[in-house]
Amino acid sequence: MKYSSQKVAMPYFIAALALFFGQIVFGLIAGLQYLDGTFLFPDLPFNVTRMSHTNLLIVWLLMAFMGAAYYIVPEEAQTELYSPKLALVTFWVFLAAAALTLAGYLFVPYSQLAAMTGDAILPTMGRGYLEQPLPTKIGIVLVALSLLFNVTMTLIKGRKTSLNLILIGSLWGLALLFLPAFYFPDDTVKASYGWWWIVHGWVEGDWELILGALLGFILIKMTGVDREIVEKWLYIIIAMTLMTGIIGIGHHYYYIGAPAYWIWLGSIFSALEPIPFLLLVAFAFKMLLQRRREHPNKAAMLWALATPIVAFLGAGLWGFMITLAPVQYYTHGTNFTAAHGHLAFFGAYAMVSLSIISYAMPLLRGREANSPSAQRWEMTGFWIMVFSMIVITLALTGAGIVTAFLQRSGDNPLGFMQVQDKERVFFWIREFAGLGFFSGLLVYLGSFFISGEYDYASEAKQALSA
Amino acid sequence: MKTASSAQPLPGDFAIWVFIFAELLVFGVLFSAYALSRMSNAGLFDASQATLNRSYGLVNTLTLVTSSYFVARATRAIRHGRSAACGRWLGGALALGALFLAVKLLEFHDDFSRGITLSTNLFYMFYLSLTFFHFMHVVLGMVILGFVAYRTYAGAYDANRYTGVETGASYWHMVDLVWIILFALIYVLH
Amino acid sequence: MSSIENRPAGSVAEPQGFLPKPCTAAWAALIGLALFTYRLGAYGSGRLLMGAALCLTLLKGQLVVDYFMGLRSVRPFWRIAMAAYLIVVGGVIAVAYLSA
Ligand code: HEM
Ligand code: HEM
Ligand SMILES: [Fe+2]
Repeated sequence: MKYSSQKVAMPYFIAALALFFGQIVFGLIAGLQYLDGTFLFPDLPFNVTRMSHTNLLIVWLLMAFMGAAYYIVPEEAQTELYSPKLALVTFWVFLAAAALTLAGYLFVPYSQLAAMTGDAILPTMGRGYLEQPLPTKIGIVLVALSLLFNVTMTLIKGRKTSLNLILIGSLWGLALLFLPAFYFPDDTVKASYGWWWIVHGWVEGDWELILGALLGFILIKMTGVDREIVEKWLYIIIAMTLMTGIIGIGHHYYYIGAPAYWIWLGSIFSALEPIPFLLLVAFAFKMLLQRRREHPNKAAMLWALATPIVAFLGAGLWGFMITLAPVQYYTHGTNFTAAHGHLAFFGAYAMVSLSIISYAMPLLRGREANSPSAQRWEMTGFWIMVFSMIVITLALTGAGIVTAFLQRSGDNPLGFMQVQDKERVFFWIREFAGLGFFSGLLVYLGSFFISGEYDYASEAKQALSA
Repeated sequence: MKTASSAQPLPGDFAIWVFIFAELLVFGVLFSAYALSRMSNAGLFDASQATLNRSYGLVNTLTLVTSSYFVARATRAIRHGRSAACGRWLGGALALGALFLAVKLLEFHDDFSRGITLSTNLFYMFYLSLTFFHFMHVVLGMVILGFVAYRTYAGAYDANRYTGVETGASYWHMVDLVWIILFALIYVLH
Repeated sequence: MSSIENRPAGSVAEPQGFLPKPCTAAWAALIGLALFTYRLGAYGSGRLLMGAALCLTLLKGQLVVDYFMGLRSVRPFWRIAMAAYLIVVGGVIAVAYLSA
């Protein structure tokens, strides 16, 4: 850490981890409700559990991205943040809005929440990931504007690196792409268009640029490779992302009432979307091979190298499997999609957030790296979470395939609930793997409480005596 | 000299070649999709292709090939340290790139005034989207070339430092290369 | 521009005197082949004609790769990769057209 104002990143990172914890708790409850439909009913209906799980996911990722921006932008611009105070106020506003919204979900029936918050005046509620009441949505826009103002002013007064331009540009994109959240026409096709501009536009467009910028920053810092090389790779990755991802949105337009040409355009271009993820893998490992230093923070390096790999598996491979129109005809909206959603969100955006947290938190706490034993805990947590998430993915994939065969094809397709019954074994596996994930998360969080810092002298002595 | 030179590295920055190969992969998939979807629609494709004004395609091929040639000359000039000549060749290449775009826009205008859209049929869907996708690559190539030309005029390159020129040139040749295949596929083969 | 001025220092491989530069010759060939391919397309259809047009197209591609991109003088690996690309794409097109 070079500038004291970077410290405002810390509350963002801590809140992100707390919300991550909450997300997983709701995930476990949702998984249990799959196995016992009456669990916690009527106090916590499945739809509420589910949207608490997914909304917490989005909020903690946004928290982590914002923390990352407040950490990276001053360091890249080589100047203090324009207004650390504004960043701190914004943090509390955002956290309070998130908490109030969650309380609204949990304690007020959704329809009543909609009536209370003016959904009749400007309807925005009800679509996946965008369930927030109108005041929360407006709050999100204000928080984003505050962040953009702060980092853009910092950029203007400081050094203008390509990496900073990419990061700040993609944060602007993130905010602009949120605006269709306020567009919810009665026409379901148009409503779907608007919804996918946000959801697809984020995860298969703009956020990939954020992902690239965060990884680029970590790799510059940890490998000592020239930033020119990193920036060149980033430009290529951005170009391929936009080239495939923008028209690739067609993979959500196949059978919703959109023009038929989307079947071709969506299939072809989205089938190419794995390319930028593959380039990210190549990029990370090329930087590793060209490294000019050995950074003591091994845990952060592990996160940073694993991120593109798991992202490629979850987004590139699992996304590819369900992206061609003839396949999606059978798999649309099954647990195969959920399998893809889990591994992609975790591998790309959860893991890159945990990477930057792993890199920056020790520095924010005044040391270059944590003690080896803290790192061992962190890396153990890493392996448990990654392994559990892969098991969750495989279980959901199995359930999705069974649905495609028994419920979506054949001469005598079975009914939904009959098929769900046959898939119980997969839902049990998912729940157990979920518990595994939860324990990995506890180990990971525990690593923050192991004190001590990396001590070169004692490490060197140990290495010599071994 | 000849034997030693057979092991030269790729011209320009290696990163641009990563990009070029990724682009070639994308275009390769697009070309294959066109050809494979024609398999069960050959009659429709041939009849629709016959309605295109193929002279547009020819003029644009000649334009882009010549533009690519100018860029090859620009690279050659800078390797010999003649940066003024390099700048002129690049300027000429950019002018031809603009001509390509103008002709293509004229052709799009013709198509739209005939009432052609993406929904007209499968051939036109491919025709419009492939040529538009390539159009955007010409635009990107011109941005890159324009940047290189600007740096050339600013004196950034000479006989010992010309990687930037080679980098931009390699990308432009790729844009030319895929157009040559696109031209054959969309305007000629039936 | 005189040919003396254009000669790279120490190069013996460059054609000299009245011979055109390799890239100029390639350009002339490309223009000629483009016109010829265009005529083939206008002339009619049929497998032979179309096969010829496709082969000429791949040849044009190889000319661009060799003389414009300048891959003639790089490691064989890259030249093979490029040639393989043209052959694969050309092959897919050929198979698709033959089985149409
Ligand atoms: C990190 C990047 C990605 C994330 C986080 C992600 C996440 C998701 C999520 C959560 C859904 C479910 C949306 C819903 O609620 O209906 C989804 C759907 C889908 N994704 Fe992705 N995705 C990513 C990248 C990709 C890529 C690269 C592809 C293609 C190769 C892809 C293909 C698809 C398809 C085809 C669907 C629709 C499935 C259906 O209709 O059921 N995704 N994605
Ligand atoms: C303990 C681990 C987890 C469990 C048990 C779990 C469980 C669930 C359940 C039951 C659903 C509802 C599926 C449905 O509507 O049918 C769900 C949805 C979802 N979860 Fe999780 N989850 C876990 C961890 C995660 C993690 C770590 C992420 C991402 C980082 C995540 C992202 C999502 C997403 C994006 C959806 C929406 C999927 C869709 O609409 O297709 N979950 N999860
Ligand atoms: Fe998508």
